Formats: sequence, structure tokens, C-alpha cells
Amino acid sequence: MLLQVKNLRSAYGALEVVRGVSLHVSRGEIVGLLGANGAGKTSLLRSLVGLLPPRHGEILMDGRSTLGQPPWRSISNATVLVPEGKMIFADLTVRENLLIGGYHNPDRLLQLDIVLDRFPRLRERARQLGGTLSGGEQQLLALGRALMGRPRLLLLDEPSLGLAPLMVLEVFAEIRKLRELGVTVLLVEQNVTATLQIADRAYVMETGEIILEGDAAELLHNPEVKRAYLGSTGREALL
Amino acid sequence: MNVFDHRHELMPRGELEQLQLERLQALLARLKRHVRRYREKLAGLNVESVADLARLPFTTPEEMAESFPYGFFACPMREIIRLHTTLGPQGKPLVIGHTRNDLSQWGRLAARQLAASGVTANDVIQVCFGGGAYGSAGYLFGAQVLEASVIAEEPAHADYQIAMLRNYRPTVLITTPTMALELAEVIEQRRLDPQSLQLRTVLLSRPVDRETRDRLAAGLSAPVQCNFGLGEILDPGLCVACPAGTFHLHEDQFLAEVQNGELVLTTLCREALPLLRYQTRVACELVQGKCACGRSGVQIVPGPRLDGRLRVKETPFYETQIAEVLAHTRAAGQPFTLKVSERHIVVSLELSEALFADTVWFVENLKRQIESDFLARLNLVAEVRFVNPRSQAVPDETGGPTLSPPETGRPLIQS
Repeated sequence: MLLQVKNLRSAYGALEVVRGVSLHVSRGEIVGLLGANGAGKTSLLRSLVGLLPPRHGEILMDGRSTLGQPPWRSISNATVLVPEGKMIFADLTVRENLLIGGYHNPDRLLQLDIVLDRFPRLRERARQLGGTLSGGEQQLLALGRALMGRPRLLLLDEPSLGLAPLMVLEVFAEIRKLRELGVTVLLVEQNVTATLQIADRAYVMETGEIILEGDAAELLHNPEVKRAYLGSTGREALL
Repeated sequence: MNVFDHRHELMPRGELEQLQLERLQALLARLKRHVRRYREKLAGLNVESVADLARLPFTTPEEMAESFPYGFFACPMREIIRLHTTLGPQGKPLVIGHTRNDLSQWGRLAARQLAASGVTANDVIQVCFGGGAYGSAGYLFGAQVLEASVIAEEPAHADYQIAMLRNYRPTVLITTPTMALELAEVIEQRRLDPQSLQLRTVLLSRPVDRETRDRLAAGLSAPVQCNFGLGEILDPGLCVACPAGTFHLHEDQFLAEVQNGELVLTTLCREALPLLRYQTRVACELVQGKCACGRSGVQIVPGPRLDGRLRVKETPFYETQIAEVLAHTRAAGQPFTLKVSERHIVVSLELSEALFADTVWFVENLKRQIESDFLARLNLVAEVRFVNPRSQAVPDETGGPTLSPPETGRPLIQS
């Protein structure tokens, strides 16, 4: 197991948003974490890297506890979070954006070449300002920037957010390919179908708790997943 | 060792324990959300490790019978695509629902068993349970997952089955012990050569003693394996019976405990009818350790039933059901004694003065009526004897008035 989480509890003030979550991600896996708005997915990710220090529980990376570490230490554990909404630097060029991602990596220029080979689109636009890229390209840039840190575990927060359906497919295809680089992925998403198509396993979260765990292929047909999003009926929002 | 699902069956201990904890927590969250009975029972309870299971409440078969039919279901009927029934406490029926995922999971679990028995896509399987109780359903799903060929015919009479064995040349026979014994008998009577059959494996639906197994192995000229399952949980699909005869629990799917000698099971993945600490009313021992077949982990050593369930051939019943059948006849309320033999039951009724005064014709008629009632209501072949109320002992050629059936007195497994 690369990442092992047990009984994690996190809160904003008195409001507990992660309520005793256990999950694990094995090496080389793509694991989905699904749930509706406000289920606690993003808070869970923020807790994993120390941005929202958990109140209770265990986080083991490669069997060693990372609890209480400041967020910047997660990078040296080779855990990189790609936050929701891409958060790229609009006023810096694509190349500069990428180099920031490899700031702590002495071989960052070498890594830059690897990443640009991986995303030819970014190479074409290496000198363009980040803010001028399309939404999909910005998401690829955010992915590329994360890869600059040579992560072993990549935490992706809603990479499909605000993307056109075709672009979602492209970004997800890139995520699937990350496996070839030996990167393990924990993918937090609302887009159920797209996620379950590329994931090995997935968890479904509802109001701070995990209510389902299973192989992606099984969850694809699980009505509980629909219920977690939509209450009792409705299908249209499932893409 | 033949393994169907490497990831789950041979999971490293640490990862398995993590997975069990995750699934147990998710199970509790679902139970609290969807099942009213559990919501009340589980209010304020949480688990932080699998060991915390011991703090959670039990579920009894009686509770399930009370909430008959659908009280324990955790999803709306619309999502349930199969209803199986099984015998509950004192003969009350229980309904076991399955969602689409439950059924496909069942298929994969049964496939683990078939694979462990050496079944591959090249095999032809004859599945014969007879009796129309859908006991064979799990095996069919499993065979389908493995893409083995299944002969879709379940004749109840042995001759036809032997014809199938000779015509279709199945390599695997899955059947009940009763049926297997009947087959072996008929093969011997007809002076057929069991070696001329192509059988490679015989898989029995429930455990039998070593003596019977050896008799069957000789009579059908194939190695015989027994499976173990429970109608309320899964049968087959609860555990894998390896060629060494050990029952290996599917630990990624079920948690097993032993409380006062009784097997207690928790289903981790079931969607339609998840059960928390279900008291199975089966005596059991759990053994941890490495088996000769190479598997490690929890082994189930099942014992006799603890709730007085009796069985004739493959029909299970309770003594209270016998009284119920009698209550519908003219002999209602008469004291009786029950003897269970291999093929039928013997009910010895005490005749009261009022009944005794009647004609022989009447008594004969009553006997016939009660016997046909047993067949119609319980599917039991019964022999009714009338005894004199003053002679307390029951006339019996094999010895004394006895209630305890031969099968429940000793452990099912002797190996």
C-alpha cells in the first residue's frame, strides 16, 4: 500500500466534514473518490497533504506516518496535490509554470523535457502566458506542473471541472497514461462515468463518510452511486 | 493451487485488514442510512478497527423472520433483481434479495470455488440438485464466469441423470449428497462401470462424513469434494473448499466470529441484504493457519446445527413444523414422537380414546391423510404409526424412543 488512511477526522471549527474515513491506494493504482458537492472529498485531500490538519486518525505513506507534517513536506514524500480549479499562474508562461512545479527538483530541466514530451500541446505553447490557454490546456498544464515534482502519488481534485465533454475525455486519457510513468493516482471527481472508466477501484463518499468501496466496473452499475449524487431518482447529471 | 481471483484470495494480511476496515465502515454507514432496524441499533456506534466489531449488536434469524419479507433490505425493490428463499427459524421462510451486483459478485465467489476444484473453461458440468429449490443457482453463475459448459437440465430421477452422464460426458458433477448416493447406488445396481464415465471431480453441496465421501468416490470413480454454505449468507460462495478438504472463508467479503460456539457472520459487500453479526445457528470453530493447499487465513470448521434443524434427504425442517402439520388433522393435539431416518420420518402418534373407538377403516384413512399432508406441506416422506397411549415406549425395531436424528448429534466434518 502506498497510501493508507485510517479513521481520519477533520473539521472546520465545530463542523466535522471528514468523519472517520479509511481508505488505501496501492502502488500503480488509479483510485477514484466520488461524491456529491459537500461530501467532504476536497477536505479529505487537503487533510492528506496537511493543508487541513486532521483531528484524528492515521495517514501512512509507505508505512510511515505523515501526520502533523507541514504541507510543504508532502512534496518530499513525493505526494503532489493538483488543486481544484487548476490554480495555474496566469501571468507566467507555460514553461515558467512548469519550472515552479519542479522548484525543489535539482533535475528540473531534465524533467521539463520529459513533461513537454508527454504533453506536446504544452511544448507548442511553452512561451505563451498561462492565462491565455484554454480550460483543457490549463488542466494539462496543472497536470504537467505536478509531474515536475516527480510524484509517486498524485492527488487530483476535480480535473474535469469546467471542461467541455471532449476535453474531459482528453484529460482523463492523459491521467490513465500516468500509470506508465509509475505514478499512482487518487482522483477526486464528480464525473462518475468518466472516473469509473479509467479507475481500478473507487470509493463513494456521502456527508463525510465512505458508504461504498468497490471495483470500478462494479460501481458503474451500482444504484447507490446514483443515490449518493441525486437522492432517489434522476439520471441526467451522470453524463 | 488453482486460484481464480489472485488479488482478493491471496491478499497480503496488512492490505486485507485495511480493506476489511474500510468495507466494515462503509457497511455501517449504509446500514444506518437504509435499514431502519439497524439505524436504531447502531445509533452512536462507530468502529475504528475490525476488532471493534465485538462492540456492535447481533442480528438474529428470529429478527429476520419477524421482519419478513423485506424488512432488512437495504435498497428499494426496484434495484433487487432476484429473490431467493431459505428456511428460517422453526421453519419460517426468509427472503434473500440480490441486486445486479450481488449476483455478479456471487458468480465470482462461486467461480473461486469451482476454480479451486480445478474447473476450467474446458469442462462440461452437470449440475443436478433436483427438488426445484434453486440450490444450483450459485454454481450456474460461477460456471458462467469461468465459461465452463453447463448442461441445463435437472432431472430428479437417477436413471435420466446417468443417461446424461453417459451421453454428454460431463467432467464435473455438482450435486447434493443424497442425489450422489442415489446415483452411485443405481450405477451399482445396473452393473455399470463408473470408470467409463468421464468424471474428474464431484462437488457436493454440503459436507458429509469421510465414510460417505469415500463411498461416493468409489461409486462414481472420481475425487469427491464437499462445499459449505448458508442459505441466508451465500451457498455456495461463503468459502472455498480446497482439495485438502478445508473451508477457507472469503475474508474480503465476510467477517467470521465464534460466539459461544456459534458461527457469527458479517457480510461486507452485499448490497440488497447486508447483515451485521448474523448468528447463523451453526456450531463452528475458526482456525487460523496455513493449509496444505497453500492458502492461509481463516478456516471454518462447521459443526452441527444449534437450533434443532433436522433433515431428511435434502429437505430441512423443524420439529415444530411436524406439530403444525398434525394440528391440521384429526390427530391434532395428540402426543407424538418423531424418529428421523435417512430417507423418511417416522411419526408415532398416541391414539386417544375418542379416535381409538373408531373403525379400522377410519384409522387407516387417517394414517393416509396425515402421510399425504406431510408430503404436501413439508415435502417429507412420512410413516405414521399409531401406538397405545398406555405403552409409553414407541415400538421400534432399531431401538428405543428417540428424537435426536443421527445427523445432528455429531460434527458434520470428520476428517
